[in-house]
Amino acid sequence: MPVCVSDSVKVGCFALQTCLNYVLSLGIWPGGGSSDVQWCFSQVKGAIDDDVAEADIISTVEFNHTGELLATGDKGGRVVIFQQEPESKNQPQCRGEYNVYSTFQSHEPEFDYLKSLEIEEKINKIRWLPQKNAAQFLLSTNDKTIKLWKISERDKRPEGYNLKEEDGRYRDPNTVTTLRVPIFRPMDLMVEASPRRVFANAHTYHINSIAVNSDYETYLSADDLRINLWHLEITDRSFNIVDIKPANMEELTEVITAAEFHPNQCNTFVYSSSKGTIRMCDMRASALCDKHAKMFEEPEDPNNRSFFSEIISSISDVKFSHSGRYMMTRDYLSVKIWDLNMETRPVETYQVHEYLRSKLCSLYENDCIFDKFECCWNGNDSVVMTGSYNNFFRMFDRGYRQDVTLEASRENSKPRSVLKPRKVSTGGKRKKDEISVDSLDFNKKILHTAWHPLDNIIAVATTNNLYIFQEKLN
Amino acid sequence: MLGRGVKRKWSCLEEAEVVSEARQLVLGLCLEKLQRYQAGVELSLRRSVLLINTLRQIQEEMRSDGVGSCDVHPDSCLLRDDFREDVTVTCPGCSEGESPPELPSQEANGSDQQKPPAAVSDAVNAMGYLGDLALDDIFEDIDTSMYETSDLPSAWASGSLPQSHSTAGSLQSCLMDLNELDHIMEILVVETHLVGPGLQNGFSL
Repeated sequence: MPVCVSDSVKVGCFALQTCLNYVLSLGIWPGGGSSDVQWCFSQVKGAIDDDVAEADIISTVEFNHTGELLATGDKGGRVVIFQQEPESKNQPQCRGEYNVYSTFQSHEPEFDYLKSLEIEEKINKIRWLPQKNAAQFLLSTNDKTIKLWKISERDKRPEGYNLKEEDGRYRDPNTVTTLRVPIFRPMDLMVEASPRRVFANAHTYHINSIAVNSDYETYLSADDLRINLWHLEITDRSFNIVDIKPANMEELTEVITAAEFHPNQCNTFVYSSSKGTIRMCDMRASALCDKHAKMFEEPEDPNNRSFFSEIISSISDVKFSHSGRYMMTRDYLSVKIWDLNMETRPVETYQVHEYLRSKLCSLYENDCIFDKFECCWNGNDSVVMTGSYNNFFRMFDRGYRQDVTLEASRENSKPRSVLKPRKVSTGGKRKKDEISVDSLDFNKKILHTAWHPLDNIIAVATTNNLYIFQEKLN
Repeated sequence: MLGRGVKRKWSCLEEAEVVSEARQLVLGLCLEKLQRYQAGVELSLRRSVLLINTLRQIQEEMRSDGVGSCDVHPDSCLLRDDFREDVTVTCPGCSEGESPPELPSQEANGSDQQKPPAAVSDAVNAMGYLGDLALDDIFEDIDTSMYETSDLPSAWASGSLPQSHSTAGSLQSCLMDLNELDHIMEILVVETHLVGPGLQNGFSL
């Protein structure tokens, strides 16, 4: 029992602090508690050797809506889906591992005879549809054609046919003396992928984005100059909703780089451009959404102007927050968070690798300046993540205003080993464990990352390997 | 940023020189990248547009710099320190004051270094012509959407010109071919005007 006021205050404070520590350690603090999150290596998928087969280069990574399934697409046109094992009772602290669930060839290389050009089979994007029945559906696209795939499980098969043997051969009718009805018996799980719809011949230019609408009936596909709206059931027609192709191609100065639907408002979508602008459109306003409802653009900083200003302002990815209140854009050097109610400038800007600003000429020479990095939100929109070079990836905690650089490499691949934060030294003196800018490997780029919608599990794609990291649980 | 007083003249010249070097290098890289052609694979429109915009920007700056004497462009000063840093990174054999290294032998770059603004604008204009009016006027009633290229006007990516130049790939030879094609176009246009309303039913010369 406190004997005086000051004592009671002390006790109260101590109690409060203890409570806070407890809540933070649970990781359920609304801010995400990123300052407490430590990331551990969980799994790595893909070939071990350094000799990368071109077809194995991962080109897209996407969790489904529950996070149970993780899909990757590669340059060879294949889709590989991993499924999370249910948590084992033996290790309740460890979240289930992801194992191969289904592999299929989504797209094949094609030849455009009219232009004498190859159409690459590389999968540019995969988008999952929310699950409505036992089967799973996803959309996958290459440069020209979008396909709807149905992935279904088969774990029973009919046995005991009346007229057929077990191997399918027909029985000699003379031997059939009784009538029997086949019954379903369990079999080894088989996962089948079948193309249900093919949405073709609607894009003259290269498709860079597909996005499913919140009505789950329509979706959009965007190429360099146009955006089309499709109904999932209808493959022979699409509506053109954005067209920025000038009458005279010589006047072309800007292309569409990414597009996304608002997560809640089925009439709203955004598209980003190579000039660093984002336009938000309302489909209720008119059939052709050439006039934007809002345009988001940050005025250029005159101190940073160079020959490469426009190239580095080009937006490579745009993602709405799960809440629908914000959107995030990725340009070459930074990640910006925009409040949808404010068009004049972003509310937050995070520098991904500012040390590259003085190297832009070299990066232009070796073409790295054209690399398109993606970005993603965590489940509660408190942390954002994006990739960089040297197999580094970066996380920015919006609440705690902290950021961390981590590395996806075979060296840090001991099971459940905690990832150590990395640092790039920019000044003259390089501290121990830091890496200098000139030692960075620009061939090792992390362009594609994904965050589990509900848990702290992330999938990070290096050139041909997929790394899965999990939050360290005590 | 510029020094005041007597020293101004020298630093002005110095900066102008460095800026001009930077421009030549980036200009050369732009042209090299635009000419790079991978047989059978479509070029990225985004990349091409960004390259052309950069090219145009340099052209603009050169033009405006040519007008003003010691009017140092705002970004030149800012560029200088950055560029010097980059010069050592990108051109190991390059040091202050030396001209940029020879880019992989392309006659285009040689001539461009002498008179960049004219060559660039000529190239862009000449190349744009093909995708422009002539074809549209003559073939108005024919639906050419099937034949739309997803590239820029075909000549912007010079490699997509007629096969005879798949090996050459240099700016000069492309321009010569374009001049021939221009000539042919002119003949067609003249003939169309002679034929007049008969065009709807086909040529009848």
